[in-house]
Amino acid sequence: MTALLSVRDLAVDLPLGRWFGGGARALNILAGVTMDLQPGRTLGLVGESGSGKTTLARAILGLQPVSGGTLRFDGAELRRSADFRAIRRRTALMFQDATASLSPRMTVGEAVTEPFVIHGIRIASRRGKAAELLAEVGLPAEMAARYPHELSGGQARRVGVARALALKPSLVIADEPTAGLDVSVQAEILNLMADLKDRHGLSYLVITHNLALVRHVADRIAVLYLGRLVETGPTRAIFAGPGHPYTRSLIAAEPKPDPRQRRTDLAIRGEIPGILRRPPGCEFHTRCPVARDICRSAAPALHDLGPGHSVRCHFPETTSKGG
Amino acid sequence: MSEPVLSVENLSLRYRVAGGAVAALRNVSLSVRQGEVLGIAGESGCGKSSLAAAMIDLAGANAEVTAGAIRLRGQDILRLDQAARRRLRGREIAMVFQDPMTAFNPVLTVGAQLVDFQFNLDGVPGREKRARARDMLARVGLSDPDLVMGRYPHELSGGMRQRAAIAAALLMRPAVLIADEPTTALDVTMEAQIIHLLRELRAQYGCAIVIVTHHLGVIAELCDRVAVMYAGEVVEEAPVDELFHDPRHPYTRALIACDPARIGKATGRLPAIGGRLPDLSDPPPGCAFAARCGIATDRCRTVPPPRVAPGADRGVLCHEAAP
Repeated sequence: MTALLSVRDLAVDLPLGRWFGGGARALNILAGVTMDLQPGRTLGLVGESGSGKTTLARAILGLQPVSGGTLRFDGAELRRSADFRAIRRRTALMFQDATASLSPRMTVGEAVTEPFVIHGIRIASRRGKAAELLAEVGLPAEMAARYPHELSGGQARRVGVARALALKPSLVIADEPTAGLDVSVQAEILNLMADLKDRHGLSYLVITHNLALVRHVADRIAVLYLGRLVETGPTRAIFAGPGHPYTRSLIAAEPKPDPRQRRTDLAIRGEIPGILRRPPGCEFHTRCPVARDICRSAAPALHDLGPGHSVRCHFPETTSKGG
Repeated sequence: MSEPVLSVENLSLRYRVAGGAVAALRNVSLSVRQGEVLGIAGESGCGKSSLAAAMIDLAGANAEVTAGAIRLRGQDILRLDQAARRRLRGREIAMVFQDPMTAFNPVLTVGAQLVDFQFNLDGVPGREKRARARDMLARVGLSDPDLVMGRYPHELSGGMRQRAAIAAALLMRPAVLIADEPTTALDVTMEAQIIHLLRELRAQYGCAIVIVTHHLGVIAELCDRVAVMYAGEVVEEAPVDELFHDPRHPYTRALIACDPARIGKATGRLPAIGGRLPDLSDPPPGCAFAARCGIATDRCRTVPPPRVAPGADRGVLCHEAAP
């Protein structure tokens, strides 16, 4: 089966001005990112703030110039901006802050039908289309007359989903789709996304740092650290036996909603280093509990751990069960 | 058992709004003892932040306490005059907010603000205040306190800012520390570190800590006792282990059931709590949760539920929960 989205060895650099360090230089943000998203599946993109998740999503949509590697959508390579424009009708983005992503001066009805205007697609009735899209996400048609500030967090999310669905995309990129929502509302949004996926055969790229969430929604996971893909594989395999020490730390750091499973030690200390101070060798060595000399000097390559499961580490642990 | 440091007794608070009032807190009673961590859990709109704000007398100009008392070591702080209340704030009761970016003044360095916060300390020279500030920054795990002293809030990462905010709150050695969603804005790795820090500080200072959060994982990791709020009322109060392993209120049960981190088996669909919060400008006559409750009877919809005690140190506001 052709992957809907195929990313090979993708790199993104930001050009830096001359004054920044003498000669003209570029700051490397992403490198060596390789992953596939099959049609009808969900890929979870995981990592801390500053790991490059959002930059990767922007690069996939053509909103961020790529400096190396290839991107394919439905088999066709994306190179020029015209290629990206062509696929933009088949991709949609759900933004992290649902309320802020809606124009405060546009009604819900205008917002959900705006994609048709942007792409110059004629529709019989904007009002009818708005009602149809709102019904799809479980909102009453009267909601079309409301403004974003009149919506609850959960309603704003639903409007974001309706807007993303307007052009019947094949790929929906959801940036932290449930951040800031209460657990019960979070469940409603995730269930809605699952229903729509089944109904329309959507594929999702879910960007999140919420591991409990990706465990339930994603078929596969890609873990990023400081712009490098450190582990990728089937969700079940990664949770059963995370290969990268970073993945293990992330899983262990998640607070467990059971006081009998309290952790007294810290799984990971410190913060992700800034991209201006990218550590040599393996980027994770400064926080890694098992780093050795080679990790400080040589960048590790991707190793296979199992079917479709690979990890970028000098000492991948295949025996660990959940950390 | 020691006397409570802070106790809230039958507190009712309403917000005056255009055309009426919203009953944000209704007959809330709870207490926290020295060295104890009390968790206040609940979803948006349940009143948990109103309660935290009332505890430190920051409930806002349109808030009105209609009944009840807030006692600090037995003394009702609501009966003190403005100046006396102000002296308590920061010195006896301190607060850590969700977003430390807005808690700090953006145009002053962290060091200058930490010195300012000690305005209550008469007769202490500035140099000593600086030394105290620096010492406190080191205690909350900032590895280079001198550097942080000279930084502006925007120059620190989210995790460093939250540590600095905790340092600011602890400067005056308060008897009670109130933290409203202290880890919600942070990555999971930093969240784990802040939880760890709060545990250490509790052990070191023995102050009472009140944690307000919607995140059950944080409650389970950190708290000794938990109060679950719904629609302005404490619907269940219990020691943390009993709350998670023997919840009695249907709302507590539902809340725990829809936490994706609690559900062991990966599942595409998650349980949700249907329905929404009642309108608190006109609270329902019976149980506030009745409309969303799976076991509600006619009595629940018409008669206010009694507070029953299913065990030592426990309370449940429910008709159907057997004592």
